[in-house]
Amino acid sequence: MSQSHDATPSARPYYSPPSASPRPQPANLADILERVLDKGIIIAGDIKVNLLDIELLTIKIRLLIVSVDKAKEMGIDWWRNDPMLNGQERTLADENRELRERIEALESKESGD
Amino acid sequence: MTETGRYLYAIARGLDPQVLADVPALAGGQLEVVEHRGLAAVVSDVDLEEYGEEGLRRNLENLPWLEEVARGHDAVVQATATRAPTAPLRLATICLDDDGVRERLDAWHDALEEVLDRVEGRMEWSVKVFARPRPVPAAADSPPAAVSGAAYLQRKKAETQARQAEESSAVAVADEVHASLAARSVAGRRLAPQDPRLTGRAEQMLHNGAYLVEAEEGDAFATLVDELATAHPDVVVECRGPWPPYSFATLEQP
Repeated sequence: MSQSHDATPSARPYYSPPSASPRPQPANLADILERVLDKGIIIAGDIKVNLLDIELLTIKIRLLIVSVDKAKEMGIDWWRNDPMLNGQERTLADENRELRERIEALESKESGD
Repeated sequence: MTETGRYLYAIARGLDPQVLADVPALAGGQLEVVEHRGLAAVVSDVDLEEYGEEGLRRNLENLPWLEEVARGHDAVVQATATRAPTAPLRLATICLDDDGVRERLDAWHDALEEVLDRVEGRMEWSVKVFARPRPVPAAADSPPAAVSGAAYLQRKKAETQARQAEESSAVAVADEVHASLAARSVAGRRLAPQDPRLTGRAEQMLHNGAYLVEAEEGDAFATLVDELATAHPDVVVECRGPWPPYSFATLEQP
């Protein structure tokens, strides 16, 4: 194993850069926001900005990235009922729709007789 | 005259400030390193009109601004993490001056040392598992009216059961992938699956894993991911990295 990739002359590389695989560097905005807004060290600075207090646009982003536990802590649970976010609820919704369709089919059959 | 503050990107140990000389800071600033008791905070000046309490409250609602700052923040953290053990700070950690920065390094010294011990020589890899898009059942050619109620219900039930079976087997695959990767890394975390509206992908994300991996084992880890992807053609496995150890450099226990 060769770790002597001499990337920058001024500094010793702290880790050996991934060699052969030309894997795309992480640049996906979803991944970056997830990490810089929801992960990492939290130390209160002098500028008091509680990221959890920001509303409107970022609250939407935050809802998409915060952990389930945190969302519950914040009293946010609409995602439980959002068919896009919850497979089980989607199944229930499907079942409800199917039942309604079935009732309609029965009713129209009855009135036709 | 506009007031400035010190924006903190990351805390590192044994960081040569020279290596950051060519890395762009936020807001066209210059990166500097504030050292205190063996810890090095990577900072740059920011305008408090833009990064003060009021400014941030306004700007964080502005997605283009947020994206630029998030990418800029990440780029500095990336540059630092490839040079020294690094604990990334959450976006928008700002002190008024270097004394404020040193105060934080003092107050959090031992906890930060612990975090740096945990991540030293290690990087984070992101592995996601997506469900393969399900083929649409070709049922449209039989007009519903011609089907008896019982047959209709039966067909619907069979479809639902088939889908549930598919979904639960995909979830089992995701669990298996996570277990295999966690066994080959220093630590593994399951993050909340990202919403399709954020990923822009139609496939459902079944697993959003973060793994702390020894730096020299990065290639072997990526190979393992490739093997798992080949072994499970029924799901899409995506590997990104190495990342700075965002998901493992937390003061709370991960």
